[in-house]
Amino acid sequence: MLARITDLFENDYGPDGFRTCSVTGLDIHRSAEKYVKLFGLTAVIALVVGGIFAFNVAMTRWELVGLLEPSSYYTHLSMHAWNLLIFWMVFMEIAILYVGGPMILGRRLPWTKVAAAGWVTMVVSAIGVNYSIWTTEAPNQAPLLTAYVPLPVSSLFYGMAILFLVGATIAALPFFVTIWKEKRGRPEATLPLIAFGAFVTGIIAVEAILGGIAAFGYALAWRLEFIATADAGVYRHLYWIVGHGTQQINLVAMITVWYFLTHVVGGAVVVSEKVSRSAFILYLFFINMGAAHHLLVDPGISANWRIWNTSYAFYGAAFASMIHAFAIPAGIEVGRRRRGLGGGLFGWLTSAPWKNPIFAAITFSVILFGFLGGITGVVMGQMQVNMTWHNTFAAVGHFHATVALGTTLAFMGLVFFVVRTMFQRQFVSGFLAMLTPYAYAGAMGIATIMMMYAGILYGVPRRTAEVVRNIPGSDFSLAAATPLFAVFGIFAVLAILGGVCFVAVAVGSLLFGDRINEGDNDDLLPEGGLRSDGGKPVHAYDMRGTFTLCLVFMAVFVASYVLNWYLLTELWAIGL
Amino acid sequence: MTSPTEPPEGNWWDEPVSRRESMWLGIAGIWSIGIFSWMRGFTEFGDQNPTGTTYDVSSEEYRQRVSEYKNAAEDTDRGLVPPGDDVYIGAMRYLWDGLPVVLETGKEYDFHIGSYDVQHGFSIRPEGTLSQQINLQVYPDTEWVIPMTFDEPDTYHVICNEFCGEGHRTMHGTLVVEEG
Repeated sequence: MLARITDLFENDYGPDGFRTCSVTGLDIHRSAEKYVKLFGLTAVIALVVGGIFAFNVAMTRWELVGLLEPSSYYTHLSMHAWNLLIFWMVFMEIAILYVGGPMILGRRLPWTKVAAAGWVTMVVSAIGVNYSIWTTEAPNQAPLLTAYVPLPVSSLFYGMAILFLVGATIAALPFFVTIWKEKRGRPEATLPLIAFGAFVTGIIAVEAILGGIAAFGYALAWRLEFIATADAGVYRHLYWIVGHGTQQINLVAMITVWYFLTHVVGGAVVVSEKVSRSAFILYLFFINMGAAHHLLVDPGISANWRIWNTSYAFYGAAFASMIHAFAIPAGIEVGRRRRGLGGGLFGWLTSAPWKNPIFAAITFSVILFGFLGGITGVVMGQMQVNMTWHNTFAAVGHFHATVALGTTLAFMGLVFFVVRTMFQRQFVSGFLAMLTPYAYAGAMGIATIMMMYAGILYGVPRRTAEVVRNIPGSDFSLAAATPLFAVFGIFAVLAILGGVCFVAVAVGSLLFGDRINEGDNDDLLPEGGLRSDGGKPVHAYDMRGTFTLCLVFMAVFVASYVLNWYLLTELWAIGL
Repeated sequence: MTSPTEPPEGNWWDEPVSRRESMWLGIAGIWSIGIFSWMRGFTEFGDQNPTGTTYDVSSEEYRQRVSEYKNAAEDTDRGLVPPGDDVYIGAMRYLWDGLPVVLETGKEYDFHIGSYDVQHGFSIRPEGTLSQQINLQVYPDTEWVIPMTFDEPDTYHVICNEFCGEGHRTMHGTLVVEEG
């Protein structure tokens, strides 16, 4: 078995250490591929840990089951959050940086010892964070994701969280060195869009990490009694630079993966380099402003501060997302039309490779992120509407739509792609692989919608072990929401089974899948191969299918917006 | 060939943008400006804005203020009847000091909310219509004064929606709003 595992890190490289990928045509160096595999595999382990706790958390919130007592619920919730929202995502993102840098640019990974040091630091600190959460004892409380001061959380947790951020920075250094060398070597050349997206992801990550070190450093100094008190408002401002910033990294990394995989398995082209790159630049300047939507119903912040950050500035990023929302499907539409596969309004879409799990995962990621995550993010990010969303289960629905549906689905697609192209293994079960994105996206989609409804329609709060059937010490409860929780519970279980399918296919294929031979991966490629030129410029192709889909998206957006504002204006008068 | 994995060829910045993509940029841009304008405008003409005045105050001092208010209020079976237009509520693990309180419809009250210990979430909804709810964050060392006027008589339930410790889910209080 050990030989089988070490064999996973081997491929047939030339004497110079490079090989040409039979699918993407990229020149891949052994050093880059080895570390992409290492970080990707570690991410999947974090996904498994977080997924196990997902079951415990969901079965506690479904109070019919009521699996855990509150004394252990918050510990399990913290394990779920840190392993999925941070460790699964960040390990994947380092792998994506190494794909977006050295692999796309056809370079070797520089500073491999630094990459190794980064990996070791991240693994040690991730174990440390898990240990600190699991061993929480009074008076310390479980940190959840936020670890809001002055609720006491163990200093070991803050220390390990800081170490993890340092580790991620170390691991990202070889990527930045790659970009530096590329621009030194070819200053006049434009970076490919994927490398450009990865570079923007990296910069946003640095911003988030600096905020995180400041926030956790401040809390740690208070816990170690270097300073006497910790100000809740100051901590929240600092914390949300990393708290939301990490999720913005997920978003930008996910969009980079969208461009990459829709191209490789769907034949997508870039319909406008100028527009797509401008959207990434908008992210660079504005997306961190999105963090302000956590502070919209906090005391001590002026209305002008909130309006500036959450709209004037943040809409620069929301606009950017709407740009990608057009550019990604339009890329598929044009790519397929130029292959002669675009009959009618949606022929390009109906003829797409829906049986390819990589394509299905990416497409569901785009759709569900946009319709469920993007719209709710902007709606709840309005200062007044936020009063009806803040800290309700609907907010949990929002980030499951963005992170559990959007990013996780995209990363699942990427892992499947890496299993086939870098680990060079056949899926252990083609049927199970095909089923995975449908099962996961469908079930998680419904579970997510139930979370939103429970929060908005019944005011069920987040971060409680129970309140629906029973608020201890009170004859009041939110029992009206019980039917929603029945649907939520069932589909949460199904979604977790979808996740089990994913892990079974990914890990099973690595351990037991047949080795790929020449030509075995041809089924991944779009009809007519990766390169296709219809003879006319990209912008001259019809994009009316995408335009129609975007109009549907806008109609849903407007309807959600109006509905939320209607609910708000039904409330009693509040505020100056 | 315009591939995201390869550098774009030639003068890519000046490549024309498809007419439909340009139209979408226009729609998305107008929508972004529109929802910004509505949100900004609502602070001028809307009745629901999470805005008020905030004071820095130590937790001990705030507890003292709540205590003075409670002494001045009339203590009835249904709860405290505030002596004037001010309503003081102190959050602490795991109860709402100052609740229950008896209020009248149509009268503007200045709600003072603050915490004696950690952060809490002030989440209110009438028993009759759970979808009508507001949620505000409560800090220690801060007194937030935010006016509210209730239209409908009902029992409004307050629960904590910010994790404040193991007993968090038991933190419940009521506002009894009667016809004014």
